[in-house]
Amino acid sequence: MALINIASHEIHCKIVYYGIGYCGKTTNLQYVFRSINPSARGEMLSIATETERTLFFDFLPLDLGTVHGFRTRFHLYTVPGQILYERTRFAVLNGADGIVFVADSQAEKFEENVQSISELEMNMRRIGKELGNFPFIIQWNKRDVPSALPVSVLERYLNRRRVPSFEAIAFEGKGVFATLRAISKNVMAQL
Amino acid sequence: MEQLTNLVISDRELAIISTVLNKLMNDTNATSVMLIDKSGQVIATQGTGVRRNATSLGALLAGAFSSSRHIAELLGEKDFRTIFQQGVHENIYTTMVEEQWLLVIVFDKLTHIGLVKVLSKKASDEMGRILERVRADTSRTKSSVINVQFRSSVEDTIDLLFRD
Repeated sequence: MALINIASHEIHCKIVYYGIGYCGKTTNLQYVFRSINPSARGEMLSIATETERTLFFDFLPLDLGTVHGFRTRFHLYTVPGQILYERTRFAVLNGADGIVFVADSQAEKFEENVQSISELEMNMRRIGKELGNFPFIIQWNKRDVPSALPVSVLERYLNRRRVPSFEAIAFEGKGVFATLRAISKNVMAQL
Repeated sequence: MEQLTNLVISDRELAIISTVLNKLMNDTNATSVMLIDKSGQVIATQGTGVRRNATSLGALLAGAFSSSRHIAELLGEKDFRTIFQQGVHENIYTTMVEEQWLLVIVFDKLTHIGLVKVLSKKASDEMGRILERVRADTSRTKSSVINVQFRSSVEDTIDLLFRD
């Protein structure tokens, strides 16, 4: 839910990165954190287990500066990818204005991706939203891995709605900003 | 339950929110008070203690609250409407306003929790009435901010800032 504060001249939007464990959600945020102008970002928070798996969420506030007199901010969140954290994922989705589904391109992860995207659809319905008319894009991550499925296959089975999608190698930064640009514009367009 | 798409808070309502928060802070002798949205966004703060970390606190407190509601569900409880976090020096009491906002009171050992509970209930009722007005006004006030020029400028800014 975007918050427009006329008195303090601020607009806040929430973007959630969703997907299976180890698909690269946190890596996306880490790359943005490292690469963006430091004056445009706040502190990155990670609530992780001892083995660096996301336990609750990662959080990265971004500040676009003042646009037409309004200080515009995007808050990026990731959900924990591991199957057992389904309820935590639902909790993080609360109030989201846009969603990036990060798909792991590896063939052996195909089924898990399918399950995760259908869980996302179900969670959205639980909060009264339809993914079909919500700011939603997909990132095909890990394009460099030898077992990566062709994008045409991923598109056919995981992108039934034909939403915008982007190829990425998140740990090298490839596709990370293209994804962020697309979802941010999508969110602003529906504001 | 359908979630709101956006919420627009006018000058007038923010001034009233700040007055309610300020009164609550003074009456309870709290170090800080905050009003945050359940999505984690900070609406207003009073007091010096939290200002620097307000953004992170907003995200974490909303996350903790959301998680506690799911705990309630697992226990067959309708929901937990408040959370009390107790430290050696500082304590935080969080209470829900109409399924949308969270009222957060940060206080030290000089304040008794009983007083915080009673006064935050009163303040939360008042916030509920403000929220009702904000909801009713949202679509009217939004068009004054989000216009064609704004959308085009924000797209340019996104291109400029989020580039490889």
